[in-house]
Amino acid sequence: MYPFGGVSARIQKDRLHAEGIGTNERALKFLNQDFESLKQECLESGCLFEDPCFPAEPPSLGFKELAPNSSKTRGVEWMRPTELLDNPVFILGGATRTDICQGALGDCWLLAAIASLTLNEKLLHRVVPHGQTFQDSYAGIFHFQFWQFGEWVDVVIDDRLPVKDGELMFVHSADGNEFWSALIEKAYAKLNGSYEALSGGSTTEGFEDFTGGVAEMFELRKAPKDLYWIIGKALKRGSLMGCSIDITSAFDMEAVTFKKLVKGHAYSITGLKEVNFRGNTERLIRIRNPWGQVEWTGAWSDKSPEWNAIDPSERENMHSQMEDGEFWMSFQEFLRQFSRLEICNLTADALSDDSLSFWNTIKFDGSWRKGSTAGGCRNHPNTFWINPQYKITLLEEDDDPEDEEVACSFLVALMQKNRRRYRRQGQDMHTVGFAIYEIPEELKGCQSVHLKKDFFLKHSSCARSETFINLREVSARLRLPPGEYLVVPSTFEPGKEADFVLRVFTEKRSETEELDDEVVANFEDEDISERDIDDSFRAMFAKLSGEDMEISVRELMTILNRVVTKHRDLKTDGFSMESCRGMVCMMDKDGTARLGLTEFQILWNKIKRWLEIFRQFDLDKSGCMSSYEMRLALESAGYKLNNRLNQVLVARYAENEVIDFDNFVCCLVKLEAMFKAFRELDREGTGRAEMNITEWLYMTMCG
Amino acid sequence: FVPSDPPAPRRPLAYTEQSESDEERQFRKVFQQLAGDDMEVSPSELMNILNRIIGKHGDLKTDGFSIESCRSMVAVMDCDSTGKLGFYEFKHLWNNIKKWQGVYKTYDTDGSGIIGADELPNAFRAAGFPLNDQLFQMIIRRYSDENGNMDFDNYIGCLVRLDAMCRAFKTLDKDNNGTIKVNVQEWLQLTMYS
Repeated sequence: MYPFGGVSARIQKDRLHAEGIGTNERALKFLNQDFESLKQECLESGCLFEDPCFPAEPPSLGFKELAPNSSKTRGVEWMRPTELLDNPVFILGGATRTDICQGALGDCWLLAAIASLTLNEKLLHRVVPHGQTFQDSYAGIFHFQFWQFGEWVDVVIDDRLPVKDGELMFVHSADGNEFWSALIEKAYAKLNGSYEALSGGSTTEGFEDFTGGVAEMFELRKAPKDLYWIIGKALKRGSLMGCSIDITSAFDMEAVTFKKLVKGHAYSITGLKEVNFRGNTERLIRIRNPWGQVEWTGAWSDKSPEWNAIDPSERENMHSQMEDGEFWMSFQEFLRQFSRLEICNLTADALSDDSLSFWNTIKFDGSWRKGSTAGGCRNHPNTFWINPQYKITLLEEDDDPEDEEVACSFLVALMQKNRRRYRRQGQDMHTVGFAIYEIPEELKGCQSVHLKKDFFLKHSSCARSETFINLREVSARLRLPPGEYLVVPSTFEPGKEADFVLRVFTEKRSETEELDDEVVANFEDEDISERDIDDSFRAMFAKLSGEDMEISVRELMTILNRVVTKHRDLKTDGFSMESCRGMVCMMDKDGTARLGLTEFQILWNKIKRWLEIFRQFDLDKSGCMSSYEMRLALESAGYKLNNRLNQVLVARYAENEVIDFDNFVCCLVKLEAMFKAFRELDREGTGRAEMNITEWLYMTMCG
Repeated sequence: FVPSDPPAPRRPLAYTEQSESDEERQFRKVFQQLAGDDMEVSPSELMNILNRIIGKHGDLKTDGFSIESCRSMVAVMDCDSTGKLGFYEFKHLWNNIKKWQGVYKTYDTDGSGIIGADELPNAFRAAGFPLNDQLFQMIIRRYSDENGNMDFDNYIGCLVRLDAMCRAFKTLDKDNNGTIKVNVQEWLQLTMYS
């Protein structure tokens, strides 16, 4: 929004979120581009829209195989549909799965997801807003909405599409004159930085970005015992479901088996039914081939004899002999034939139809930052505890009829943000995962606690993500008895930086919150008058301050540096003029830019106390504070801060992840001054400080 | 207080090769050299480049940019608390420094290479910051030496922070009523990271 607002940009974004920006109805404008006003401008000026943020230039195509001047991109032109054809249309006769034919890009995962989406018109039109055409008030501009890491984003594009040898280079429709699919692909490419950034991915990624739902994947070879029940519930909830048969080589792609199942192809699941078959209950599942043809020919297929052995009225209802791509098979057979099931659970946000029962969703945005919150996994006991921690309270057990166990089902999904965008810089997904711990008895019901190293040394996790993996999202369906739990998301290695969104979905009522220290400061206002100061200090001061009996910035620097050189165990590069200026300005109460006797005594006492704390928490006696020792040291000095603030302090005061003594002192002087300033601004104790720009600048320019 | 306009919508970095002037190309090259593989500028990288530049201008009086003031400059412009500046933040900083350097030379009326307390208000006004006397006095106390003189590195450090803080205020004052409200967490994030 305001790219140059520093921290304030982030704060403003949080505030907008709290007001409801980022929902599908009030989507965030990607790169601040507003569709309506841009379109209006174009209509008024009579020009077709040309997008400056995703220009019709080679870098929009890619960076490696599709890099500028590569063989694949040679001779590419950018053309508008209106230049390609006489009568292009946006959507012809409703969006259908045949509108989507893959081009020269490995984004079949995306296309499979778009294809599933066309089966549900309501979901489709959240992504493809109504009323876009090449006819009335056409201005060469289109927009689409995607779900990105917890919020809906509106993406504007121009309709210049990459064309090679007179043909669309990427997605095109079978009809040839229908363009919604090519345009949605372009919008998604813009969101991710380039077309090539879309290459390679999983259908679930697309599922999630089009619905805001949460995907789960099941290996059918290792299917959970209640899978039938899970699928049934998912159908009831209107979840998108796909299944596929793994391929062992690219040669296998779309190979058709003996009984007419297609390998490496995305099928959808559309129904589930129990029938009485020769005196036994037989479980059946209905599956659809999105091609609209090529059906399974084994047991329970359209023409198979099993149908004759069931109740005629039931047969009437279920059995269709049409070659429509849809067929039944027995559930056991399904588990054998298919290798993978993907479920995209929709959240309450996705459908407003009350008749369907939804998961309750809770979402947290967080980040891992080197030195402050990037602790790595449990293999790193020294830093694991600094990771962000989230508490969930499971209140009600499931009403699963097949299970006597008292347990709550829930789903935890951890997604790393924006990594696809960094591919251009040669980066990719981190390896991420999470662990869940039972909250100890004595801390139950507490809100603001961040559990420390000791806890994790003594307790083991009660559930965890199956593996740490370098996918965009790691999710796990878990069952635990009602109670309070702690979720700790982390990267595998410590020190890997990323932003993430953690979502927890529960079947029944639950509570979730970030488990983090409340921001609290306990420091004493040192009320020292000149009379309290002893003679030896007075004498020292007189010697240091010279004739004017005040200590200037330069004198303070000399003194402090003399002190630290006496303590050889402290690591420091010395106090700089700049940091002494800041300290004097914040300590100086009479506006002389110098410290008088009492002001100096106060500072002196603090430094002595902080020196003790510094030594005490410098556990490895390195002479400086590692950034996670810092968190504990600050607590001992009276400041409980939360993750966000610890991140900020490390970013500001640590160098190579360590904080030396001068930075430690500067940090504390400032922290105290700012807490005091806040108290003064918030005289009535409302928790919010109000100020005008003069007051604001007076405070912020001084420190 | 009218902070300069935020720059036009960002063109992704990769496009700069296409339609840029010689000067921009030069700048991008410098940035790439400076920022190294991660394409981000750390405080010490910033310090090196700034000191290299002022070394070339003999008429600016300065004792060099300290790491401390470079940390502070990075902090006020960094929005994701990584402790580094990206290309666009750096370019913004760069353009401002060029502009403010011109102002500095113009308002150093006696050619001393420093801005005296009497020259300072006019210089700041020309740089786009018409503050009131109370603020000018505080700034002189905080950023000038004992004789009220401000050398070049303190001048730049001060303006970078002033620019960022005016921007931050504007960002948070969404309804433009001239006041902002912050809670303690926001307050500490804003002030500690500067």
